[in-house]
Amino acid sequence: MNALRRNATIALAIARKDALAELRGRQAVGSTIFFAALVLLLFGFALGPDSRRLAEAAPGLLWLAIVFGGLLTVARLHQLEADDGALEQLALYPVDRRAVYAGKALAGAGAMLLLGGLLLPVVAILYGVPLGAAWLPLVVTVILGSLGFAAVGTAYAGLTVRMRAREVMLPLLMLPIVAPLLLAAVKATVAAVAGDPFGELGAWLQLLAGFDIVMLIAGAATYGFLLED
Amino acid sequence: MPQTTIYVAPRLGGAHGSPPPAVDTDGLARLFGRSAALAGVSLRIEAGRTVALLGPNGAGKTTLLRILATAIRPSFGGLFIDGVDALRHPEIIRTRVAYLSHASGMYDDLTAFENLRFAATMLGWSGAEVATVAERAIAEVGLAPVADDRVGSFSAGMRKRLALARLLVARPSLVLLDEPHAALDEDGMALVDRLLGLWHEFGITVVVASHQADRVVRAADATVRLHGGLVAEVSGSGVRAGALAPVIPSYATSLGTSR
Repeated sequence: MNALRRNATIALAIARKDALAELRGRQAVGSTIFFAALVLLLFGFALGPDSRRLAEAAPGLLWLAIVFGGLLTVARLHQLEADDGALEQLALYPVDRRAVYAGKALAGAGAMLLLGGLLLPVVAILYGVPLGAAWLPLVVTVILGSLGFAAVGTAYAGLTVRMRAREVMLPLLMLPIVAPLLLAAVKATVAAVAGDPFGELGAWLQLLAGFDIVMLIAGAATYGFLLED
Repeated sequence: MPQTTIYVAPRLGGAHGSPPPAVDTDGLARLFGRSAALAGVSLRIEAGRTVALLGPNGAGKTTLLRILATAIRPSFGGLFIDGVDALRHPEIIRTRVAYLSHASGMYDDLTAFENLRFAATMLGWSGAEVATVAERAIAEVGLAPVADDRVGSFSAGMRKRLALARLLVARPSLVLLDEPHAALDEDGMALVDRLLGLWHEFGITVVVASHQADRVVRAADATVRLHGGLVAEVSGSGVRAGALAPVIPSYATSLGTSR
């Protein structure tokens, strides 16, 4: 129990530290949100003015924007560790590596949740999708999707942070792994927006939750090795 | 601070019942690609000693300290700290070792106090102790007036002082210092000298690499001079060196790149 409490303290301290650094580096947060919103706008231009077509594509485009923004977010959360030897220092603290992973994943999930929460109304306005009635299942979908993405992203960002070509390697390694998450999140969003006419929303949310659990366990088990030389 | 229960009997201990050496290395070697930064270092340092690690650039001082700190693993050789096998149980060693590297390991967007509070939490302090030890350590290194300033605005010397404060938050039995005087003004260097004296007084083993040879030799019980990744000379008390020949001579020679 003491070990559990200590690990929770460590994880929260790391998440708090990352959140502070993120919020104070306003340029980075602002540019990520702006970038994701711009992706949505450009997809809108590419698809043309057909409002029905835009509304149909909206769930997929929303999640693509979250994924692109999320890639920048998880990479940045590890980049701040790489500055001035902080990553080596983090590795030398006498703490459970699973707690370090949990803290980084929590910070990543929180940042992505913020991103998703801000992009939802952007999608509603840009693509004319009525989200008001579906807000609860949409929030649950965004929470589960953000957590799963952060679970995978934290592990892969830890793997690539010391690489020279990390900007390329992170999406290259990570995007194939998050493909099932993207599929389930898009399907759940489609079902939520449509009012779940076929009763499939629960199944997609379960798939998302299952993905999250598997990836969190796998990430926690491997992250310690990634921190070592 | 997590308590450790695993204790490995000293492999190369002294007389029966005597404490194990604080540091006991056996032919430590480290290759970086085709270059041997350490070619076989065997050293035994008694607990409570202050040891000056000297040598020219590229002698292997930083590599040796990083291996002792468990920041990197050796390519060959063995390492025991306080009798614990550091290669098998680095997690135990990390509860006992405090390491000052060239980099500060601080976060630019956090204030000095926030950085130290984070370090204190990671080092096992809890509750109200966290803020207290962080404040005390910041005051000790003379950064109290700028405790609430972000580290991104700090000079190299202020960062070094903050990194020294992190050592004060830790409760180590072995302190490893890599160029602690670098980037510091005269006051800062005097602070390092004072800390070296304090650690010695409290019986904490210190290994300090520095180009300020006069300062560290004055504070040290013994001096170890490295050259080309090997121990070239040992003087003083409390330190013994093993074979001075490289443990990977043929390999290093065949590569022709040992340093």
